[in-house]
Amino acid sequence: MKDFWRGLLATLPLAPGVAAFGLLYGMMARQAGFSPWEAWAMSLTVHAGSAQFAVVGMWETAGVVPIVLTTLVINLRHLLLGASVAPYLRGLSPLWKALLALWMSDESYAVAIAEYERGQGGHLYFLGANVAIYLAWATSGLLGALLGVTIPDPSQYGLDLVFPLGFLGLLTAFLNDRIGVAVAVVAGALALLGTVFVPGKWIIIVAGLLGSGLGLALEEVERAWKSS
Amino acid sequence: MEKLLIFFGMALVTYFTRYAMIAALGRDVPLLLRRWLRYVPPAVLAALVVPAALAPQGRLELGLPAWAAMAGALVAWRTRSVLWTIVGGMAAFWILQMLGA
Repeated sequence: MKDFWRGLLATLPLAPGVAAFGLLYGMMARQAGFSPWEAWAMSLTVHAGSAQFAVVGMWETAGVVPIVLTTLVINLRHLLLGASVAPYLRGLSPLWKALLALWMSDESYAVAIAEYERGQGGHLYFLGANVAIYLAWATSGLLGALLGVTIPDPSQYGLDLVFPLGFLGLLTAFLNDRIGVAVAVVAGALALLGTVFVPGKWIIIVAGLLGSGLGLALEEVERAWKSS
Repeated sequence: MEKLLIFFGMALVTYFTRYAMIAALGRDVPLLLRRWLRYVPPAVLAALVVPAALAPQGRLELGLPAWAAMAGALVAWRTRSVLWTIVGGMAAFWILQMLGA
């Protein structure tokens, strides 16, 4: 249980970022014709910020199939996150795996896997991180929908930087050698190019796959170098 | 009621993306794949950070977010702490904003 609270507390610094976008989501859901309870229900069931923003934006014009497909496409990056955390979850029961997958978000995944990398991670820590983001997202979404007033764009106050800054702090856990640094630099550069020329969530998948592939390739080169 | 059904559909496909690989790689993960997957977190985290800092509006710009991220990177390097990185980066953002940068 101690690990659960440790994970929850470690995730709290990200909460202001979640809350700012949760309020914005609730407000936009109201404008799209949702009742506060419906806006809340979407957060409680789907729990995926980017997808919910996209769906709320297209709600009045799109049909069911495009809505569900959009959700799927935006969330495809979770496949990569799931794959990378899977080796750490191998010893768990199917029920635990299913539970950890349920509320896995970009943010809680990042917090949990950085702790695994430091050798101090665990499923309770992961669950604590998941629960922290889930509660912050659902609560702020409901609050935004209940208030229903126009709130200013979070980026005006730099609140859109909370996640990137948090990720930056977590990134340090993976920069212990030259290969880790090279992977981060190349993946970051690829993502930047993608954002400028063909924006979309697919960038995370491509930069994630190519960057990590580069890491493995460099590791092989280093190994061959040392043994020669 | 119809809305709830759509939410359920959205939740289902989202859950698929979250659970599929955790289930598929549930037992023995080949060593080569495991070594590859170990580099996924730094790649994904960098891919989430760099565009947000250097192209927040979708085009390259050296604005407030970039300077805040650089301050954050410095704090992250020295402290390795998520909390202090956020505090340092946000403080840099607000201070620069107040100075009218």
